[in-house]
Amino acid sequence: MIQILQQLINGLSIGSVYALMAVGYSLVYSIMNFSNFAHGGVIMLGAYFGFFFVTLYKMPFWVAFFGAGICSMLVAVLVERVAYKPLRARNAPFLYFMISAMGASMFMENFVIATIGPTFRTYPQVFPPQPFNLRGIYVGRLDMVMFVISCISLVALVYFIEFTKMGKAIQATAFNPKASALMGINTDFVTIVVFALGGFLAGIAGVLFGMKYTVYPQIGSITIKSFIAAVFGGLGSLPGAVIGSFILGILETLVSGYMMSQYRDLISFSLLILILVFKPMGLMGKSSEEKA
Amino acid sequence: MSKKVALLILSALLVILSVSGCSQGQNKGASGDVVKVGWIGSLTGDQAVWGQSELNTLKMLAEELNNSGGLLGKKIEIVGYDTRGDATEAVNAVKRLISQDKVIAIIGPNTSSSAMAISGILEEMKVPDIATVATNPKVTVLDGKVKPFNFRVCFIDPYQGAVAAGYAYDVLGFKKAAVLYDVTDEYSQGLAEFFIKTFEEKGGKIVAKEAFKSGDTDFRPQLSKIKAANPDVIFMPYFFKEVALSAKQARDLGIKSVLMGGDGWPSDTLLEMAADAVEGSYFVNHLDFDDPAVQEFKQKYNAKYGKMPELNGYLAHDAFFVLVDAIKRANSFDPVAIRDALETVDIQGITGRIRISKETHNPEGKEAAIIKIEGGKYKFQQKYAVTE
Repeated sequence: MIQILQQLINGLSIGSVYALMAVGYSLVYSIMNFSNFAHGGVIMLGAYFGFFFVTLYKMPFWVAFFGAGICSMLVAVLVERVAYKPLRARNAPFLYFMISAMGASMFMENFVIATIGPTFRTYPQVFPPQPFNLRGIYVGRLDMVMFVISCISLVALVYFIEFTKMGKAIQATAFNPKASALMGINTDFVTIVVFALGGFLAGIAGVLFGMKYTVYPQIGSITIKSFIAAVFGGLGSLPGAVIGSFILGILETLVSGYMMSQYRDLISFSLLILILVFKPMGLMGKSSEEKA
Repeated sequence: MSKKVALLILSALLVILSVSGCSQGQNKGASGDVVKVGWIGSLTGDQAVWGQSELNTLKMLAEELNNSGGLLGKKIEIVGYDTRGDATEAVNAVKRLISQDKVIAIIGPNTSSSAMAISGILEEMKVPDIATVATNPKVTVLDGKVKPFNFRVCFIDPYQGAVAAGYAYDVLGFKKAAVLYDVTDEYSQGLAEFFIKTFEEKGGKIVAKEAFKSGDTDFRPQLSKIKAANPDVIFMPYFFKEVALSAKQARDLGIKSVLMGGDGWPSDTLLEMAADAVEGSYFVNHLDFDDPAVQEFKQKYNAKYGKMPELNGYLAHDAFFVLVDAIKRANSFDPVAIRDALETVDIQGITGRIRISKETHNPEGKEAAIIKIEGGKYKFQQKYAVTE
């Protein structure tokens, strides 16, 4: 009993890492209709920003945390201006956006390898390392922080999109960019806002990931799992991305905890494919008219 | 008219210049005063720290040798290429070293997968290679047949896994062991396999065997399962980044078992990253950092580069002297003659006596060092060889 509860906690904590990354993915997808593979690169840069703010500039943690979010926001907007806007202006097919995104992601990874170096670094201890011990079940403090931050950012994001004027503009743009432009919405500005939000989320996800594990230039490759989780939850649906992430985290944990850890990815991804066969739009996916 | 003459003279000059340039270049490559020795290994990625240490060592030793008169009247130049820890890159690097740089022998790489990938091209081009820390048996022997151009100066995986198992059972008195290993890595699999074999042969019990994939950062699902099996010792045969992460997570889950590992552990980064989590752990190593035999090299390296050499540096050191010994006895820079001489090397290296066996191309009978992490420091316990 204790073991199964511990495994569920492990799964939730792995899931919240995926969730933080998946929300940003999903957000951009819902507006731009393509998978922003550069997201992983921004997450990685966020981890480095936070690391240098804490170690080099000795900033208090929360300042570094939001600072890294804001810097990553700028990076994400820059990527959009440089790598996507020219394509958008020329109505390029979506495949080209994806290629451009991969290029941006590789650029960021290699930029860090070349300038900062390939070795990995560790954050200094911010939260006390001793986990809470609830009758034999261990819950890490950082895990709780990550879980809470995943939930808060999701709620804030849903509120922003559903209940603000800007959010309505985002929804309208996702629905039909041309008509929205005719109605007087500055769709170019909407795109910037979306990338800025995605970038901010990527930045704080990077800092939390870096604190929990370590900082290295290949962090971006972890996002492949959160991408899968986002697709599984229903790409374009924010709650779907979060739920998909938690399900993937728990599924992985249960497979390695109760079946064979050697076959973890084999079994958990076969299950995902099976579910997608029956629900091709993902768990909470809507048809393209309703997304965002 | 004068313009035409000037052009003619100019072009004639250019031709002469380029021809003489060419012949000079050829001379340098074939019979100049410099003989090139290749090195391959990781200069980027997780293992960059180790690769850099190897290359630094070789450059330092070559410089010393050249300053004291060189080898057989020639100067040695080290040409190093980055493999990024990738087997395909390693093959490309070897091709480039042999065909472009005309090296007479190659030292490295530090990973078994790369060392195994290059044996085909070595045999084709007939140039010997001395691997540094590639401990997989298949690096030098495949299907019972020794690979003619592959050599090494370290002991092999079975030996490391067996030493760890023997020490855990016989010396530390542990009866129940768990194994966590990297299912995508041959090194990790090899160590795990032979640890289990020896531990069970001695009468111990393996209570859990769990796997992860390289690139994973979270090991808590596997560790929770291991915790439930309540082992005395957990064997972790993989590299220090994963060791640091998994050791920390194990302690976070309240696991108190002793941790053990292989030669993927030692690194200053491990102590920095894992701190208290690896306190009281043991690992098997190729040598002892406090051994008097290695002090001279350690100090020289530190004086030149401002930091201590990593483990790989010490083995690169011995690989270099194995090669020098072979070249001296072959009395030639012919790669095939060097290969023949390598088969009968018997020198005292700083990591132990290196007596290459003709049948396996491994240094036979090398003792392993058991090291314990105590008070945030590596403490040498004893030299240990597992008895059959």
